[in-house]
Amino acid sequence: MNKNVFIKALSNPLALAGFIIIILVFLLSMLSPFIAPYDPNDINVKAILLEPSMQHWMGTDGLGRDVLSRMLHGGRISLLVGLVAVGISTAIGIILGAIAGFYRGWVDTLIMRLVDVMLSIPSFFLILAVIAFLTPSIINIMIVIGLTSWMGVTRLVRAEFLSLNEREFVTASRTLGAKDTRLIFTHLLPNSLTPIIVSAVLGVAGAVLMESGLSFLGLGVQAPQASWGNILTDGKEYIQFAWWLSLFPGLAILITVLGYNLLGEGLRDALDPRSGSSK
Amino acid sequence: MLKYLIKRVLWMIPMLIGISLISFFIMHLAPGDITSNEAAFNPKASEESRQKLREMYNLDKPVIVQYSLWLKRMVTLDFGKSFASHQKPVFWQTTDKDGNVTKGLIQEALPITLMINLLGLGITLILAIPLGIIAARKYLGWQDRSITLFNFIGFSIPGFWLSLLLMYWLGVVNNWFPISGLHSLNYESLDTWSKLKDSLSHLFLPVIIPSITGLAGITLFVKNGMLDVLQQDYITTARAKGLNEHKVVYTHALRNALLPLITIIGLSIPGLIGGSVIAETIFAIPGMGKLFYDAVLMRDFPVVMGILTIGSALTLVGNLLADVAYAWADPRVRRGVARG
Repeated sequence: MNKNVFIKALSNPLALAGFIIIILVFLLSMLSPFIAPYDPNDINVKAILLEPSMQHWMGTDGLGRDVLSRMLHGGRISLLVGLVAVGISTAIGIILGAIAGFYRGWVDTLIMRLVDVMLSIPSFFLILAVIAFLTPSIINIMIVIGLTSWMGVTRLVRAEFLSLNEREFVTASRTLGAKDTRLIFTHLLPNSLTPIIVSAVLGVAGAVLMESGLSFLGLGVQAPQASWGNILTDGKEYIQFAWWLSLFPGLAILITVLGYNLLGEGLRDALDPRSGSSK
Repeated sequence: MLKYLIKRVLWMIPMLIGISLISFFIMHLAPGDITSNEAAFNPKASEESRQKLREMYNLDKPVIVQYSLWLKRMVTLDFGKSFASHQKPVFWQTTDKDGNVTKGLIQEALPITLMINLLGLGITLILAIPLGIIAARKYLGWQDRSITLFNFIGFSIPGFWLSLLLMYWLGVVNNWFPISGLHSLNYESLDTWSKLKDSLSHLFLPVIIPSITGLAGITLFVKNGMLDVLQQDYITTARAKGLNEHKVVYTHALRNALLPLITIIGLSIPGLIGGSVIAETIFAIPGMGKLFYDAVLMRDFPVVMGILTIGSALTLVGNLLADVAYAWADPRVRRGVARG
């Protein structure tokens, strides 16, 4: 990725804030086994629904489990799902988009029609159906979110390839007898990388929201495994007398998604030559 | 124009077939079928009676045969009967030989979801257009910055969390709005005016939440559109002529900035339909989202297939309407289409 774009983006305070949020959330959730004060699944009948205090910073839930510890462990799951799902969708998008944009012709038509079809199916319905039928598990959720969100990247990569294909350096390389694979991997793909990264960063935000929504409906990460979405579902039952169970997981999702959106938009702005002159 | 329209409508047919193929085969990835569910509720169900059920629903035939049977019926808009809800027709009402009318599940649910989403969209537009204009006119000023921050939060806030918070705050703590269903229990005994009031107060929360979460995208879109348009030469010309700023912004710029909004609204339809699942489950609204969620949990294949197909068809129709509206509103496209 173009280093300058990244540096330019981080000079924008909002994007910098997003970057810091992402790093912090990532570190906190990855280090959860070491920093969580309690075992996230440790049931304690003597400590049911305790308000936030020095012992339990975010209180305890209906089974006496420490909410902070569950939040930290849950964050690891939520991020993992988000990152892997986006990895899958980006990989599919790059492959299909590259094939469509490079070879054009009937393959291109076929792939783009598939994109149209996939975009017409309300994706949340599709995801819900597949997950429910396949029995919900972390692996299934990652795969299904990935398999239903590759269309944007495909269009993006195809458009990049189509426009790069007309550029002199590609024509020159082709005239010199470069093979297709060489053209794709040394010229076209590296030059399309920055917009792909922007879309991936924004994609993580969407995938984290999607996972939390699914878990909230009971079709995502299954108990006792914690995820932000299912802590919130548990909290829903106690909303009248245990506000902390609903507040913290929602805030965590909001802040994390906000971080990815801020960084993603910052990168997109930095990438857009039109925004350079006006800011 | 007519030729273009016919082409677009015909194009929807292979699209719909593609959509139904994808959904049909995904559905058959699933281990277990309706019979495992019915058996779970009825301990006496034997393997024999399950086999009978399978035969009744054609589940014993190969997938490809099931698909062609389904497709054949779909052409006549017959989406079959629900496995789970007392054999109700999936799509439209049927009349039996005694003249009893059974309403279709989608027939009952779709108007509710459409109404909620259209109301929500209306509120979103009423709020988003002025906010977008303000942000563009005060670009990089404090107004623009606050709107931008608000937009980012709107993009990032989980809708179901916002629903829970508002439901708790407005419904439970303050008791201003009812938190579930479409009507109160005593709805039938109310007079017309009270009925309207009752419906509106039940609709408030389910409508306001998608409007808030949808606000961010549309505001940003209006702002960017305005910024682009305000840099155009004809705006400079209008200003140079000495037109007042109000006229420049509202008659010259706004119309052109809002044009692409038509397309965006068309594209947002699948998201709106899909998004209705969470809102309708939270507020117990008997719309498409709730129907779909229940059907998925019950493995009620005909209903799931019906909703996926109808939902996608609505998306296609929505996109078509958006394109036609765009062509109608933009003389450049209108002439271009006429020539092509």
